[in-house]
Amino acid sequence: MNMRRAVPTLFVAVAALLGAMLLCPSSFAQEGVTVPETKQVLGLEGVKPNKTGILVVEKGTLGFKFGKKKVDVPANSIEDVITDKDSQRAIGGFVGTLTMFAPYGSGRFLSLFRTKIDTLTIRYHDSSGGLHGAIFSMPIGKAEDVKKELLAEGAKTTIPIEPAATGPAPATPKKEEPKQ
Amino acid sequence: MKRSHWFALAFVVAALLWTGSANSAEEKKAVKLSSSSIQVFPVSSDEVKIPAEFQMALYEHVIQELQKSGKFQHVYREGDRAAADAADLIALRGNVTGFKKGSEGMRQVTTVAGTTSVTIHCQFIDKSGKVQLERDITGKVHFFGGNLRATYDFAKKVAKVVEESF
Repeated sequence: MNMRRAVPTLFVAVAALLGAMLLCPSSFAQEGVTVPETKQVLGLEGVKPNKTGILVVEKGTLGFKFGKKKVDVPANSIEDVITDKDSQRAIGGFVGTLTMFAPYGSGRFLSLFRTKIDTLTIRYHDSSGGLHGAIFSMPIGKAEDVKKELLAEGAKTTIPIEPAATGPAPATPKKEEPKQ
Repeated sequence: MKRSHWFALAFVVAALLWTGSANSAEEKKAVKLSSSSIQVFPVSSDEVKIPAEFQMALYEHVIQELQKSGKFQHVYREGDRAAADAADLIALRGNVTGFKKGSEGMRQVTTVAGTTSVTIHCQFIDKSGKVQLERDITGKVHFFGGNLRATYDFAKKVAKVVEESF
């Protein structure tokens, strides 16, 4: 066997395999995310506050369908995507600890909405560069999926997604009290 | 006391009241500002942290209320390139200086307790960077409604300040 011929062929084959592996996740990403019963609380251009519709993230855009209308925001014009959990983490620390102990759930101030829904906030720029802020509320557990998909489609965020926990959170080691 | 003394006293009081009202009218006239366009920036929260949704709700409500007020020909958003050409542009910037934690649950149950409030130091700044007007404005939700209502209340009060000052 001619080794001089075999090496480039093998190299091309490996390169093709790597290319296919790289393309696979993006083809999955193109499937998009659809969240029915999403409420556009405020801020999305061309949509009245508190409109309920379907939020769709696909083909590089965030779309909001309501009735026969649809408003699209290009994902690459979104400079920040923040879920309510991100806000809690970002503020967290001292304030978060304080509100844990505050009476009758006064920590709710830190959220605009009740905790039984997910909240997603986006900051995006229109064609003339103007900043818009749009707030969506959606069924619980959906905001993180939308955020992941938006980031895959080209949106940016100031608070990266936390790596998913693979198992139960490790218990904090208890300090053994010194025996007296 | 003689009747003439009463008349003298009444005259002095009336004179004082008249000069006082004249002064306040002059003061009001003095702070009247003039501008055809305003650019709104999202509030910053250096010391008191607020979540992104709260920040954006404040921003959007303020823009909406300023547009409704009709005081300006243009209400520009942060980053709007057209704002650079506006000659007498006023910038509205705010910094959260305080908040009182409330509870929607308590408001629903008692209707008197659980008030939420947010105080923002607002500055109206001209193109040269000079602060033309500054106020501490507080948005509150007293009785019914979610915390979103405090952002709406704040925006209404900003619009009122604009009505009085421009």
